[in-house]
Amino acid sequence: MRTSHQRWLLEQIPQWERDGLVTADSSVALQERYAIDDSQPGLAQMVMGALGALLIGSGLIAVIGYNWDDFSRPIRLLFAFLPLLGTQIFSFWVLRRGESLVAWVRETAGLLQALATGACIALVSQIYHIGGEWPDFLFCWMLLSLPLTWVLRSHAVAIFYLIAIAVWSISTQSAEYGKLWYDSPMLYPLLLLGLLPFWPSWPCKAPLSIFMRWVMTISAIFGLFSAAFFACVKELGYGGAWWICAVSAAIIALFPLNPSGIAEPTERKPQVLLGALWLLGYGIAITFRSVGDDLFKGISHTSNTPWCLGLLAVLAALGFMAIKHWRWGVLAIASIALLPLVAFPFAQGDGAFYSTALSWLATLHLATTGLTMIVPEFLGRRGAPRLGATLLSVLTIARMADSHFSLLTKGIAFIAVGVTFLAFNVSSSRKGRHPQSSQS
Amino acid sequence: MKTLPFVIFLIAAIAQWAAPLSQIWSREQTLSKGTLIQVKCVAPDPYDPLRGRYLAVRPEQDDVTVADGMELVYGQSVYAKLTTDENGLATVSSISATPPASGDFIKVIAAYQSKGKSSFEWPFNRYYINEKLAPEADKWFAENIRNSKGIVAEVRVLDGRAVLEDLSVDGKRLHEILKERVK
Repeated sequence: MRTSHQRWLLEQIPQWERDGLVTADSSVALQERYAIDDSQPGLAQMVMGALGALLIGSGLIAVIGYNWDDFSRPIRLLFAFLPLLGTQIFSFWVLRRGESLVAWVRETAGLLQALATGACIALVSQIYHIGGEWPDFLFCWMLLSLPLTWVLRSHAVAIFYLIAIAVWSISTQSAEYGKLWYDSPMLYPLLLLGLLPFWPSWPCKAPLSIFMRWVMTISAIFGLFSAAFFACVKELGYGGAWWICAVSAAIIALFPLNPSGIAEPTERKPQVLLGALWLLGYGIAITFRSVGDDLFKGISHTSNTPWCLGLLAVLAALGFMAIKHWRWGVLAIASIALLPLVAFPFAQGDGAFYSTALSWLATLHLATTGLTMIVPEFLGRRGAPRLGATLLSVLTIARMADSHFSLLTKGIAFIAVGVTFLAFNVSSSRKGRHPQSSQS
Repeated sequence: MKTLPFVIFLIAAIAQWAAPLSQIWSREQTLSKGTLIQVKCVAPDPYDPLRGRYLAVRPEQDDVTVADGMELVYGQSVYAKLTTDENGLATVSSISATPPASGDFIKVIAAYQSKGKSSFEWPFNRYYINEKLAPEADKWFAENIRNSKGIVAEVRVLDGRAVLEDLSVDGKRLHEILKERVK
């Protein structure tokens, strides 16, 4: 439950008690159950603290950018190290005070120290005319800032770190930048591992905020997709890279969760939401035969690369854990990533690939997935009927667009799908309203 | 009071000092003990949002003949042997995987290899400049780029490391030239 909802609930409970809606015992039980964890900073507090620290840090960097060449080198170096020392002392004081300080002070201390570190290495680079591109600078900066997320539990620094590792991965994915292992986005999983205390399933006292989850998921998507493009053989097109992206998306969607995490609604699990959306989109794309041809060309060269084999091993492990936790829905969607591998042996011909098998396999899989989302609703169990109907409609439109039917046939088919979709929507809405009317 | 957070904090704080200090130490060593070489170059004027205005220093020479059978990987770090011509300008005469036994050399990054030659990246590529002087540096650059003597990078070299000390034209240092021009 969101903190704002909790606050509303806590405000209402005494009134409910006075009105006799809940007993005194229930009131206490509810207040204990939905107590707000003040050790976690509120969004407004975090934003204000971060903004203040950002302004000071940016100002510091801008002042450095001016390049005070009237001063001697030692004086300028003093400019670089004094703010760093000041922020380190401030962070140490915050650390010593521990839990007695309000959360935003911890956030501000962490961010200020991170920015002072960046300003310090920037000024040293400037004074000695040290070359190198900005991704090198960013890499050094984010690594030096990482420990602050552990010791100060600073969400602001963690967010900076997540954005920085994603940006760094994107900037290093082009072949022109470098081909060395330490100079590539393949380092991304290791860098993400650095934030282990913030991972959703890691045993920690407080659940991770939704905002952090979104930032972490988006960072993981950019980081892993950059690695996918770096790992593929570019000369053979991007089919292989998109497939590795799909495998990465499946890993993101299947990221292990503890029982309370699994029980949370999907909108609170961005890794499942974004991973599944990507995979469904990918599933639709591979029903097109032209996409399949390019894909098989890429797979034949990238499937045996260490990066790809590593990802498949991780996917197998996460799949096993998902089976253990009965996460069948996510597992079904994640399996879309493996369809090209299943179809691959049937697609090889004389020096060419035949993508019809993949197209049919993907169509069958998506149709089954769509139906599986709808059917439970009619059996009185929880399903996702609208998502299922949308998936079936998009699939039909995609298949019709790729077919050799006449425009008239396609037009009639589209109208039929549209009418069915609207009828289904109306029926679902009525079904949704029915229980309310019977209660009233 | 838990000790581990303090230990981690201490290590982080030391690392935050050690990273820039190690850079300072190696560059100070090079500046004080290194050999001065001069490299002819071109220098347009870009901007780094984090580190301020700088002149992008691009030495004229960007490739070198590689020995027969030498295979270089893109991004590989190699040693470039420096030779000084009759005008006092240094060029890279050869590259090798190990440091040369004698003479001045610098570490460079190998790029593309083709037809017995390999392009490479010099270990210095920017000269930071005061924001106030930067527009004047632009004009100075435009006026001097076609100068037959060209713009020269003055670089200190020691044990493979190179530190850009200054830029000059006809023996006069850029910083002095710009200060005179803005007066």
